[in-house]
Amino acid sequence: MQVFKAYFKVMRGSATFLAISLGIFMSLAILFSSIAPKTAADKFEPTKTPIAVINRDGDSQLARGLVDYLGKTARVILYPDDEEKLQDALFYRKVEYIAIIPPGFSDAFTAGEDTAIQKVIVPDSTSSHYVDMSIDRFFNAVRLHRLYGGEEDEASLVSAAMADLSSDIPVTIMSSGAGNDGSPPPESYYYQYCAYALLAMIITGVSSVMITFNEKDLYMRNLCAPLPKRSMNLQLAAGHGVFALGCWGMLVVGSFVLHSDTLLSSDLTGLYLLNTLVFAVVCTSIGFLIGSFVKSTGAQMGATNVIALGMSLLGGVFVPQSIMSKSVLAVAKFLPSYWYVLANNGISELSATFGDYLRPVFGSMLVQLGFALAIFAVTLLMSKEQKVS
Amino acid sequence: MFMHVFSYRLKCLIRDKELVFWTLLFPIVLATFFYFAFGHLTTELEGFEPIKAAVVDNEAYRRNTQFRQVLESLSEEGKNQLLDLTLADEDEAGRLLEEGSVAGIITVGDEIGLTVKQSGLNQSILKSILEEYVHTVNTVSSIISKNPGAVWQLIGDIQDRKTYTQQISFSDAVPDTMLGHFYALIAMACLYSAFWGLRNTIDVQADQSPQGARRSVAPTHKLYVVLSDSLAAFAISFLEVLVLIAYLAFVLGISFGSQIGYVLLTCVAGCVAGVSFGNFIGTFIRTSESVKTGILIGSSMLMSFLAGLMWVDMKEVVARNAPVLAYINPAALISDAFYSLYVFDTHRRFFINIGMLFLISAVMCGISFVHLRRERYASL
Repeated sequence: MQVFKAYFKVMRGSATFLAISLGIFMSLAILFSSIAPKTAADKFEPTKTPIAVINRDGDSQLARGLVDYLGKTARVILYPDDEEKLQDALFYRKVEYIAIIPPGFSDAFTAGEDTAIQKVIVPDSTSSHYVDMSIDRFFNAVRLHRLYGGEEDEASLVSAAMADLSSDIPVTIMSSGAGNDGSPPPESYYYQYCAYALLAMIITGVSSVMITFNEKDLYMRNLCAPLPKRSMNLQLAAGHGVFALGCWGMLVVGSFVLHSDTLLSSDLTGLYLLNTLVFAVVCTSIGFLIGSFVKSTGAQMGATNVIALGMSLLGGVFVPQSIMSKSVLAVAKFLPSYWYVLANNGISELSATFGDYLRPVFGSMLVQLGFALAIFAVTLLMSKEQKVS
Repeated sequence: MFMHVFSYRLKCLIRDKELVFWTLLFPIVLATFFYFAFGHLTTELEGFEPIKAAVVDNEAYRRNTQFRQVLESLSEEGKNQLLDLTLADEDEAGRLLEEGSVAGIITVGDEIGLTVKQSGLNQSILKSILEEYVHTVNTVSSIISKNPGAVWQLIGDIQDRKTYTQQISFSDAVPDTMLGHFYALIAMACLYSAFWGLRNTIDVQADQSPQGARRSVAPTHKLYVVLSDSLAAFAISFLEVLVLIAYLAFVLGISFGSQIGYVLLTCVAGCVAGVSFGNFIGTFIRTSESVKTGILIGSSMLMSFLAGLMWVDMKEVVARNAPVLAYINPAALISDAFYSLYVFDTHRRFFINIGMLFLISAVMCGISFVHLRRERYASL
């Protein structure tokens, strides 16, 4: 048991780093789960694009009619006529469309001249097409009434057009099995981010202890100790296992603290936990790999950060896989984190009926185990060669 | 003398491979990850593509020629294509919707209807297209009821819908939100110059390292030593940031606008702030080197986070809710300087950022200077 006890004494050295990793992760998890969308849709809500309308045309009826109409089809956010503020708002997507009614617009329009609303947009974005449609529809209706309806003054033109534009078409929502609006539940996001926390914590912990035990003098002293080498290795392995299990346990406890209401009642909880546990095994294997070949703490920190961030960013932990480019995803298949996120997404899409849908989830977990096995095997093989030489 | 200390300091620092990794390679690697993870996200997420929809091919649809013509003209390939239409029977359409290959199903019966799986932008546009048809029918019938003679002219005129919007731009910049991540990344790289500053203070204070003790008894004037050390740290970090910028601009194709001189000025200001920050931590906080490094990593991460490194909206959230924080956070100032160069044509906001960066650097240097000067040690 000495080695096993020594394992956790050494581990205390990295306790601060581990605590910081866990702390950062938990605060981010709380932050993100508080802003995660919580809309459950049983009825259709038309998207209202946030827009800014700048009226430089004074108090004309036509301009006011447009603003009224846009108020119904979009979400008009009040902004002053200040270019810098507007550009800021567009860059950070506080608004996705800036419509400027130029001076003299209504007069030109009622005189039948060619004139247009100026727009500042994210070029060729979908939402800009959506707002374009509203603006064109409003003015085309007004134009037709002006040309053929015999109306003259702006106010009655606008009210005639508004009357035409008020009817709605019925939209039915086809209920899918999952019964939600397609966005995954908040606990699924939590487990997705867990991948980063597991990578950072387990790799650091496991490799720190291994670097200490592999230090040349210490290693040679241990070799001549009466303790059989097999026993020592087994105790180290037990240490790795217990440590990884501990990290996993802490994150699981965190998930129950944040999402107890959904997790306790859901049938999927077991699958989420299993998937994270499988990924913890992968992380242990990576920690084992780094611990076997890296000599200094500095290099260990570098490797840990690059691997944890790289796997998380490219595997779809921070950015949803559904919106990543296909070529990146094709390469990401060579990362275990990709399969972790794939399994996690698969679980979140499962509904009450399991059946065949479970197969791809377990498949992704098996791929992760395959990665872990391969990394362990390669490490053992290579470190043996290294030590013999 | 100055050149002598400077050049040896340069050699000393550049041989610290670990620091070179963190200050040069790490930002480059991170930039590459960023690029692959979300470099093209804006175009892929927001770019417009014709909306896939299914239409139930029943008797009512076939009879409604007008509506059919409208849908067909909207799905004609070309610049104005809005729809990507599939004709299908009811079951087939339901299956397409369920598996997500169409955004909605258009049904024609007594009235026109839409079936979708969830709310969303594409679904809303579909609804809007259908409503447009219904609204035009409304307009036509309300006009004909008042002015029956206009019917033929009116029908001719409907074909030729006018567009009433004209795209203008405040500047040539495409507002790509993802650029914020890369600007915050440069800010992080600039702040990492603090590692060089910290290393300098460790090597110059007699109670921090044997080198510090040796250098303290050397006859060189302390001010010379500190100045040449800082200059060496600045030179290295400036060069590293230039390499990073070149990598971002030429390899990854990140845009910085066209004002290269101002971009360089921002790098200078950022590196000066970084090195001064390292000096500040190295002198103001009196603990072991590892704790100082920890504080440095933690604080620079926190500042980069607030500048939008991990979540691009964070910078804007801070600017709105705690504007003071945006003005004293060097990372936010650096990324905002890049941002204002890219987005705005005027330089007012840019120079406020640069001015604040130099001011903060001056304050931090001043504090380190007060701590470093006339230090006496009872025993070394």
